[in-house]
Amino acid sequence: MAKILLIEPDRILAHTYFEALTHAGHAVQICATAQGAIFCADDICPDVVILELQLVGHSGIEFLYEFRSYPDWQNVPVIVATNVPAGEFSGSWKLLRNQLGVSQYLYKPLTNLKKLLSTVQDFVPSTLNQ
Amino acid sequence: MAQTAVSTEANQQVLSQHLLLSVAEQIKLPLLQIARQAELAALSANPANLDRIQTTADMALHLLDSYVLGVRLATDTDQLFETEPVSISSVLYDVGSKLQPLARAYDVKLDMHLDGKYGPVMAHREGLLSALVSLGYALIEALPAIERPQLRLQLAAHRCRYGVVAGLYCEAEELSTEALRSGRELYGRARQPLTNLSAGSGAGVFVADALLRAMQTELTVSRHHKLRGLGAVLQPNPQMQLV
Repeated sequence: MAKILLIEPDRILAHTYFEALTHAGHAVQICATAQGAIFCADDICPDVVILELQLVGHSGIEFLYEFRSYPDWQNVPVIVATNVPAGEFSGSWKLLRNQLGVSQYLYKPLTNLKKLLSTVQDFVPSTLNQ
Repeated sequence: MAQTAVSTEANQQVLSQHLLLSVAEQIKLPLLQIARQAELAALSANPANLDRIQTTADMALHLLDSYVLGVRLATDTDQLFETEPVSISSVLYDVGSKLQPLARAYDVKLDMHLDGKYGPVMAHREGLLSALVSLGYALIEALPAIERPQLRLQLAAHRCRYGVVAGLYCEAEELSTEALRSGRELYGRARQPLTNLSAGSGAGVFVADALLRAMQTELTVSRHHKLRGLGAVLQPNPQMQLV
């Protein structure tokens, strides 16, 4: 079982992802805002983060800058699951991957739950899979 | 019955590709919700939450309908767009009943507050109803995303020096004239024009704005008691004023 921090602004989608992830055996904490997510991360010390880039107020990118500034969280895998198509931030993909440590990008409209669950599974620390 | 020609400006706004793009972006959300909820039901072998699926589908249909209505109002040059005396309380009750299922799905408490009694105002009833429902959908969806402890939305009307304001109010400080002004400037250019209010395209707000402009009014930020909100300033029926 992995501890997952799910940062998703839409309540219905968040609830649906929550159910799918808990059904797969993970412990999930939902946050809607970047600021709230930092507090949540402090509480639960997540093994994996699932992040929507379009948030109200501070964006997902701002969250990543803050999140990665803490030594404890520099190696936590972050899966970006977003409504922003890849073409719109192809120029900043290097920044996301190399500097902000984004492990995987998923375009939400074309990512079904199976794909989301398998991607999460790929990044769950091996010690938790045993 | 008064007849009002639609201004060119209103035409341009309602017909703009920006608005169509904004609606298309927004429609992805309920479709995504439906697709994932159906998939979840299959994955977990639990029955799907049909009420929620119906609510999200209704939200998508309403937004499309409002957009189409706006385009019709703006393009129907043979039949001039007609305004008529409309009861605000009746419109607000109808808006409330249409918004209630979505409010439940998002855990938002929706209530109504009418300060006193109002005579009829001049409006296009269907247009006003559509504008307020579109606005309500946008705000219901937005409130949980800004993580307010009190998820409460109030449908309300009150008199002001320019007429009668009917709108939707909440405790979000993010609802400000500045936020609406910058949203209008960024709309069509930014993926998330109402940065502090909506994680999406905010199409419900802009469709409401376009519909209200077609009625020669517009969306305005106003306060109702201690709450902030968005609403429309409507003019009382002049014949009733004489009486």
